[in-house]
Amino acid sequence: MSILTVSWSWSEILWVALIGFCLVFILLVALIFIMKLFGACFQIRHQRSTKPVKTQPIISQEEIAAIATALKIYHSVLHDRESEVVTILSIKRAYSPWNSKIHGLTQLPSRK
Amino acid sequence: MWSVLSSGSNFVLESLETFVDSTGISMLFGDMGWGNVAMICVAFLLLYLAIKHKFEPLLLLTIAFGMLLSNLPGANMYHTELFAGGHVHWDIFVSKAGLLDYLYLGVKLGIYPCLIFLGVGAMTDFGPLIANPKSFLLGAAAQLGIFATFIGAYALDFSPEEAASIGIIGGADGPTSIYLTAILAPELLGPIAVAAYSYMALVPVIQPPIMRLLTTEKERKIKMKQLRPVSKTEKILFPLIITVIIALLLPSAAPLVGCLMLGNLMKECGVVDRLSKTVQNELMNIVVIFLGITVGATATAEAFINARTLFILLLGVIAFSFGTAGGVLLAKVMNLFAKEGKKINPLIGSAGVSAVPMAARVSQTEGQKADPSNFLLMHAMGPNVAGVVGSAVAAGILLSFLG
Repeated sequence: MSILTVSWSWSEILWVALIGFCLVFILLVALIFIMKLFGACFQIRHQRSTKPVKTQPIISQEEIAAIATALKIYHSVLHDRESEVVTILSIKRAYSPWNSKIHGLTQLPSRK
Repeated sequence: MWSVLSSGSNFVLESLETFVDSTGISMLFGDMGWGNVAMICVAFLLLYLAIKHKFEPLLLLTIAFGMLLSNLPGANMYHTELFAGGHVHWDIFVSKAGLLDYLYLGVKLGIYPCLIFLGVGAMTDFGPLIANPKSFLLGAAAQLGIFATFIGAYALDFSPEEAASIGIIGGADGPTSIYLTAILAPELLGPIAVAAYSYMALVPVIQPPIMRLLTTEKERKIKMKQLRPVSKTEKILFPLIITVIIALLLPSAAPLVGCLMLGNLMKECGVVDRLSKTVQNELMNIVVIFLGITVGATATAEAFINARTLFILLLGVIAFSFGTAGGVLLAKVMNLFAKEGKKINPLIGSAGVSAVPMAARVSQTEGQKADPSNFLLMHAMGPNVAGVVGSAVAAGILLSFLG
């Protein structure tokens, strides 16, 4: 049992509960206003910093379908053109004593 | 030789008797031993739930093990008398304290819950809340459970401090519950922590029936428009603004909210990645171990096995249910004033109880049951993180009234 027990009547308990709940609301509503204000400032700043985008003239759906079909036919007849040059690339690996294979293997004794 | 040995037989018998008396087994079958046996069984049950059914395993496992350690008689790892009367008895502390007594100081001094909030902050994305600040309202409404249970607990003959500690279970926020209880009613820490974490694991079981009961099929199908993108600067300024405002308006909530926001600032500013990763992982894990074991250790037989524990468990469910209902009902009320196209799905209101991110996931699941093409998760994360701030604020208010 806690030593410093508060002795409250029923009316005080009900008031504390009501005031407590209202205070939670008031505090969080205050935060909503602040965050809204804060968000609005940022959105205005964002709108100023972004340049207006020029909108494309509206084209009909038939035209879009015709362009898409033409692109599809064009790409289907295309072939990849390869360079026809065969090259063997030499791969150079910089071994250090930490990853070298030769250092990891048991060395044969050198005979002179 | 034999005569020498036989003359000392009495001494041997006495020594053996002393040894047997000093074992935990003899104490277990002595006075009040049955209480320890019952608590050891409860610890095993919680371990089973944590390991087999994965009920909040990170905390329930450590809590259950702490419970096991403190209820094994003779181990002397935790002494309730060192913390009797709600304060630390430093005069006898060094001479008598066991390992768990030292670790418990972190709970008693309110250090562990704040450190956990530091990690929670670093793992939380406040973006959905910044994009839709109205979520704060749902986070506030879900605190209804705290204050309704406060009244209910007082009606069941708990003191105002104990009633407030039981009510905070409705915040569905473990560290906040522990923080408040350690200050107001430390003798109830064990049952309250067990109730809070057990019910948080049961959020997917407790919330859906209430959500379905309070909403219509049509309401559950409401689709919400996509949230606006939030800039990095907004995310950096958010923790600073919240800390300053909450600390100025409600200083008693400053430790919890301050740590939560410091963790979040570490994550969002992007210049202290090492610190951010540390508080999210290593620090958080270490504190969870210490917090779990010590909170479990407070659940001794004399503190746990009584009718009050049953009442706490019962009131915990009521707190969760009221919190869920509060959030859902306020969302419905908000819809009465909202224009068509700006209505909110009431299912996200239930996420206002903290339980991050489980409560938001429940909103998403229930929303998809009504309409599989509806994605509520990001919308529900707003009230969910608002609930964390809301429950910390509610704890601060209760502390300022009762502390």
